[in-house]
Amino acid sequence: MASVKISKLEKQYGAVKVLHSLNLEFADGKFVVLLGPSGCGKSTLLRMIAGLESISSGDVYFDDVRVNDIHSKDRNVAMVFQNYALYAHMSVRKNMAFSMRLKKVDKKIQDEKVAWASSILGLDDYLDRLPKELSGGQRQRVAMGRAIVRDPDVFLFDEPLSNLDAKLRVQMRTEIKDLHQRLKTTTVYVTHDQIEAMTMADEVIIMRDGRIEQSGSPMEIYDRPDNLFVAQFIGSPGMNIIECQVAEDSGVLYAVLDTLCLPLPVNSNVSPGQKIYYGIRPEHLIAAKAPMSFGSSSERLKTESGVVRVVEPTGPEIHVYAKLAGQDVCSISRERIMWAPGDEIFLQPDLQHVHLFDGETQIAL
Amino acid sequence: MGSAQVRQTSKGKLPRWLTSEHPLPWLFPVTSILVVFGLYPVLYSLWLSFYKRNPATRTEKFLPSWNWNKLIGDERVWDAVTVTFTYAAIALTIQLVLGMLIALLLDSDRRGFGLFRALMTLPLVVPPAVTGMMFLLMYDSSFGVISNALYSLNLLSPDHPILGSGSTALWGVIVADVWQWTPFMVLIMLAGLRALPKEPFEAASIDGATAFQSFFFLTLPMMSKIIALAVLVRGIDLFRIFDYVKVMTDSGPGTATETLTAYAGTVYFKSANFSYASTVALATLILVLVVSTVFIKVFKIRF
Ligand SMILES: Nc1ncnc2c1ncn2[C@@H]1O[C@H](COP(=O)(O)OP(=O)(O)OP(=O)(O)O)[C@@H](O)[C@H]1O
Ligand SMILES: [Mg+2]
Repeated sequence: MASVKISKLEKQYGAVKVLHSLNLEFADGKFVVLLGPSGCGKSTLLRMIAGLESISSGDVYFDDVRVNDIHSKDRNVAMVFQNYALYAHMSVRKNMAFSMRLKKVDKKIQDEKVAWASSILGLDDYLDRLPKELSGGQRQRVAMGRAIVRDPDVFLFDEPLSNLDAKLRVQMRTEIKDLHQRLKTTTVYVTHDQIEAMTMADEVIIMRDGRIEQSGSPMEIYDRPDNLFVAQFIGSPGMNIIECQVAEDSGVLYAVLDTLCLPLPVNSNVSPGQKIYYGIRPEHLIAAKAPMSFGSSSERLKTESGVVRVVEPTGPEIHVYAKLAGQDVCSISRERIMWAPGDEIFLQPDLQHVHLFDGETQIAL
Repeated sequence: MGSAQVRQTSKGKLPRWLTSEHPLPWLFPVTSILVVFGLYPVLYSLWLSFYKRNPATRTEKFLPSWNWNKLIGDERVWDAVTVTFTYAAIALTIQLVLGMLIALLLDSDRRGFGLFRALMTLPLVVPPAVTGMMFLLMYDSSFGVISNALYSLNLLSPDHPILGSGSTALWGVIVADVWQWTPFMVLIMLAGLRALPKEPFEAASIDGATAFQSFFFLTLPMMSKIIALAVLVRGIDLFRIFDYVKVMTDSGPGTATETLTAYAGTVYFKSANFSYASTVALATLILVLVVSTVFIKVFKIRF
């Protein structure tokens, strides 16, 4: 077990810089999830921690030991590769036992560990098959098995569940979490799946174009995104963002876009005339069939009406996509209101959960 | 429909058989070459081997088992078989190991390695007979570089001609073969090494494998088909060894370096016993076929 520290880490391929001076610290035993759009450098970062990719500049530390010049075989990390990287000529059993075979671990312990991993991963029936005789998801589970039979200082997982079906994915998620809670091994986990990120992480790191946009606990990131990118990236369906301008009417501030006039939370850090992004998560955009009373004296504080475009009942909730003054917005409610496309819909933001971002810098206000 | 259209547009320009979809016209050229230069000589040899030839009177008599019986009782044939197998086994082993080692060294994307890979192939463009002559000169006991180097290093006594002594002559020939054909092994091995996927090696490194362990647990098994193919191709070639022996030692001293093909050549050209020479050549062919078939079966090579 080890903590991992990354300081001013950069990666350059020729003239192209793919990682820009990253500073990160993963405390010992933490489960850290890296989240970001495709091509933002997640795999590259993971491979640099593993020692598979040369470091252009900066340092990587395991427990305050600089490991830049330590070969990957001596770093004692276990990794699940995005493309599995199985040993094509070895059976599933041999793939999983390979690291133990190299260390000349007792054959009986090898068998026990492989049996344990294969039962968790549902691979019992495939132990004697070659990787080419497996489906994509089965191969991915073998890659997973090869990592979990080890007892590493750091686990590195590069989208380890991306190819599994929904049910298996949920199951594996639980298994990985359970494993982590038992072993308490520092884990860095790359995923595209937000639910995975939210449910598993102690800490989420959002990356974009080789830079860190925000890091924090899943709830922190969800509730208090630092900037517009994080706000839009986290959450599904994504946060409603309306680009508008601050206006003043008899001492009260509003966000205005054409005919749309949205209330601002009191004490908002904005000034009249400022361009802002007005963000509200779908579950905080309350929908109703009739105008809602606002409990305020001001004339302009009213619910906005729009037109329903698409309705998506998911079971526990209903997602309603509507057009509001030319903007596409989404509202989620748990109430069983029956909407039909074309219906008039009245929407009202929950002022406690409004996110405002500067129109220029896109940073949270 | 597509082919019908093509045929219509080419109507009147190309003769009918050139636009045919029947396989025969397309198979004809290669088949005829094989028949004329492959099948006919073999059948003719077989036919010859069934005749007893009298070189003095230049007459033949049909005696199907005569040559074959003679072959089995001929000690020179068995000597030649031993020499051939020794030669092929030693040369093949050296070329295989050297070829793999050099290929491992040259398997790099760093600048300049492409040049080395290209230079490596130079010995292959030298005709084998010229290589033989070259080594003949280098082995010369009065001015040959190799001989003199060995003499001055006291590895060999100066009264010991390399190609002229039974104990070293075969080695002398093998060195020439190795010089010329190791690059061929390097080429095949390099092609294989360069085509290996990188990811399993990264995974092995993560799993804690040293370079040696990676080589033995990953590189070798992943290259096994290619290595087997290289062994097959080179092995068959080595079995037919003729030029180096002919040029450098002419099977001597005595019959110390007489291989099967060299013996067949001697019988043919020196004794003019065409039918017995054919028998020896056929025996070589049969031996190659048997050995390579067993090899293909054992190592499960698929083409
Ligand atoms: N060998 C390379 N040479 C040049 N550019 C590279 C190389 N490898 C990766 N890149 C670039 O580096 C960037 C980061 O790649 P990386 O694989 O880390 O992305 P990622 O975040 O893992 O994406 P994904 O989610 O799709 O797996 C990409 O823009 C990619 O094009
Ligand atoms: Mg990736």
